Amino acid sequence: MDFSRFSGPERLQLNQYIQKKEMKDFMQLYSNLVQRCFEDCSNDFTSRALSTNEKTCSENCVGKFLKHSERIGARFAEQNAEMMEQQAKLR
Amino acid sequence: MSFLFGGGGGGSAANPSAQIGQSEVVNSATTEIEMITDLFSKLVNSCHKKCIESNYKDSDLNKAEGVCLDRCVGKYFETSKLVTEQLQKLQQQPQ
Repeated sequence: MDFSRFSGPERLQLNQYIQKKEMKDFMQLYSNLVQRCFEDCSNDFTSRALSTNEKTCSENCVGKFLKHSERIGARFAEQNAEMMEQQAKLR
Repeated sequence: MSFLFGGGGGGSAANPSAQIGQSEVVNSATTEIEMITDLFSKLVNSCHKKCIESNYKDSDLNKAEGVCLDRCVGKYFETSKLVTEQLQKLQQQPQ
């Protein structure tokens, strides 16, 4: 985001907003990830503790999710840039 | 998201709930951030559901998953464009 078009106080407000949002989004990511990996990996309740399989599965689930969202981010940025370009041409 | 309806821009102008002391520019900037992050999280969730195998044998994306994700994002954007165009057509029709 281009911050140069904002005045000093506006920049401060935006920074505060972004900080809050980052925190909120991170907490959401965390709780979604726990739920996702728990649902996909833990289906056997004959024992209270995570089995080795469930543990490996959950670890892979987290690792894979991070790579997944990184890849989506890369494609997302490309598509977004393309769209902005098309818009600029139309104007 | 300025690509919706050809960059409405004025969308937040009529927002009566604008916080006191928060300028119009800040409001539209936060709305834009909100929309972009919302779109991103929708993409992450949809494409995860459609492309990622749930057995998690490996923590790396396999080839099929990677290709699927690339296409998934492309298709999502194309769909969004299509829907935008259809809605625009609908709007332009005389009532």
